[in-house]
Amino acid sequence: MPAGLTLNHFVILSLALFLLGSICVLTRRNAIGILLGIELILNAANINYVAFAFFNPAAHYDGQVFAIFVIMLAAAEAVIGLAIVLAIYNHLRTIDVAANETLKG
Amino acid sequence: MNTLNLANLGFAWLPLLPLIAVAVGAAIILLVGVRLEDEDSAGLGILALGVLLVSFVCTLFTIGVNAEAFGGALLTDDYTAFFEIVIQAAAAISVALSLDYAADNGLAGAEYYSLVLFAVLGMMLMAAAGDLIIVFLGLETMSIAVYALAGFVRREARSSEAALKYFLLGAFSTGFLLYGIALIYGATGTVHLDGIRAAIVARAASQPYLELGVGLMVIGFGFKVAAAPFHAWTPDAYEGAPTPITAFMATGVKLAAFASFVRVFMIYLGPAAAQWSGVLWVLAALTMTVGNVVALVQDNIKRMLAYSAIAHAGYALVGMTAAGSAAAVLYYLVAYAFATLGAFAVVIVLERRATAGLRIADYRGLAQTRPGLAAAMTLFMLSLTGVPPLAGFVGKLYVFAAAVDSGHVPLVVIAVINSAISAYYYIGVIVAMYMQEGTPEIEPSGASPGVLIGVAIAALAVVLIGIAPTPYMNAARDAFAAAAGPPAQATAFAR
Amino acid sequence: MIAVIVFWTLAVITVLSAMITAFSRNIVYSAFALLGSFAGVAGIYLLLGADFLFIIQIFIYIGGILVVTIFAVMLTQGVADMNISNRIVGLIPAALIALLAGAVMLEAILRTPWPHPGTAALNPTTHAIGNAFLGPFLLPFEIASVVLLAALIGAIVISRQAARAEA
Repeated sequence: MPAGLTLNHFVILSLALFLLGSICVLTRRNAIGILLGIELILNAANINYVAFAFFNPAAHYDGQVFAIFVIMLAAAEAVIGLAIVLAIYNHLRTIDVAANETLKG
Repeated sequence: MNTLNLANLGFAWLPLLPLIAVAVGAAIILLVGVRLEDEDSAGLGILALGVLLVSFVCTLFTIGVNAEAFGGALLTDDYTAFFEIVIQAAAAISVALSLDYAADNGLAGAEYYSLVLFAVLGMMLMAAAGDLIIVFLGLETMSIAVYALAGFVRREARSSEAALKYFLLGAFSTGFLLYGIALIYGATGTVHLDGIRAAIVARAASQPYLELGVGLMVIGFGFKVAAAPFHAWTPDAYEGAPTPITAFMATGVKLAAFASFVRVFMIYLGPAAAQWSGVLWVLAALTMTVGNVVALVQDNIKRMLAYSAIAHAGYALVGMTAAGSAAAVLYYLVAYAFATLGAFAVVIVLERRATAGLRIADYRGLAQTRPGLAAAMTLFMLSLTGVPPLAGFVGKLYVFAAAVDSGHVPLVVIAVINSAISAYYYIGVIVAMYMQEGTPEIEPSGASPGVLIGVAIAALAVVLIGIAPTPYMNAARDAFAAAAGPPAQATAFAR
Repeated sequence: MIAVIVFWTLAVITVLSAMITAFSRNIVYSAFALLGSFAGVAGIYLLLGADFLFIIQIFIYIGGILVVTIFAVMLTQGVADMNISNRIVGLIPAALIALLAGAVMLEAILRTPWPHPGTAALNPTTHAIGNAFLGPFLLPFEIASVVLLAALIGAIVISRQAARAEA
């Protein structure tokens, strides 16, 4: 269908997202920032799955189904990751509170 | 296909039973746990042990049944059974180590044990996986449960930080694995391992995509087995996690990752071995060296064992570079797992709250105060060093011999030098226990029956597997032969 | 021709947003820029005939994951610079590594001949995907539910304990 569009268009777009995501993971100091980079990488992988499924008619819907599992995983990872981040955040605040108590005592 | 026809899916109960037992058990523990206070969690631990026993019995029925289910997505061969049994054993010992530790350290009950069982489910799936979707989902089931377990200690920011680091690097590595799987899917048009092998053999795979995909998968698995240079998370995560979970991570997670790694690479990507065995060669050399050299300067026993775990991943990778040594890798992993479980069990006895009792210096004089414990620790350290006639020695012998047979002599030389280096820090612990004066104050609560049974079983295993290696090696050989056997005919399933 | 224009528009949106996500110094901008990437990728799915994935991407990624992430960014503003890693790579080395890896991968992609002529037919995919979930992908489908359950339990445990520690 997409006249003038080849598989390479999509795979290279995916590669760009993958590299940007990797840079994000490697350079960020903020945990949530790293998580954002990981989301970019997962999206990059998903473009590949869908593109390979589209440009290889013999590959059925496997690629699309795989992409749905990846999105499911991204949701699960985001949930657990953000819970850990919030736990650490709470810890830091808790420690501050404790410090205040020691000062009072 | 309009109706759900289980027969069309190649549905089979038998291979699923060990998995179902664990999943149902996890749910039951959650339901029972709702009614219990967190402090009464030891009973739930016993329940978890029972669940693992049921699952083990179910696995026994699958031995010798070389079948597949769900159109090849799930393989029930002896390879699966081999790893299922070792994983169940590692999990059972970890649970036994947790019984009092969990209560003492205020770890919530039901969630703790159900997450352990979920992780076991994921590990067993990784061992049984016949397509890359199952590899990936099993890995995620395991990882997500272990991320949460690593961050379980309520009071300590250290534990949350361990969980965060483990999580971020784990998720990053999952991204690499997924990208690699995507490229392999592109190259071969399928995610079924059978189909991938067929495509490689028939030279129908797009070569550059295949190479890239395999490379990225090596990185993904490399993170999970803690191979250098992808090991940065290991010491911190191992140190910060609750010690029974550290034991579980060092053994269960590593076993499952290697189960999948060996099956996917040595069997199904075997025809493309030229493209990855060189990479594994470098990884193996680097991993052994980094692990052992950095372990030399550790004074915290958990960190020392973490670097030891890295080094041992390196030895296992040595086995993976040689086509003929897969069975040796399996044997090696079992030997490593029991020695490591035992070592962590001893660590739990000496560990007290707020990180005290974790320095190697704290082991001084242990031989006088707890001679039995010191003797067991000596066994584990010697087995990890590779001293005959213990399991670790035989494992190394098998792996190195197979590697020499395949012509990887320089790598084996590196491995032997590394073993010699490792003797220094393992024997350092023994020296501290026997030759140095000290007064380790041991809390009576640390020496609970569960932990002592764990130590005893691990010590017994290290000795038995070492002095009578033949049955275990044969089991490993059969397991690998079953997995590598003639490719099961691709089951046609309705699409 | 229209498809080409649409592709380039989507690609530019996706990559520019991803660059903001990767390079912005402000984590809030990074999080919001992710919206552009996700939406762009959703458009790419549509271009590739994956209508169901398009909807899923918008519902789950944008409606779920992104919203939760932005919540977390807002909630943790005070400790924006949680130092979680002792081996942070600087921007320039990271970019160099990425460029090098990218060059290798790009070269590999460009020299890959694509042996499959033709493309998949553009049909609605929902029906087929539903059948796939209850057919060949029944087992992964069931495991996915276990993954989600484990994530749920894990998240509840960790955050409940955090709440208790606070109390």
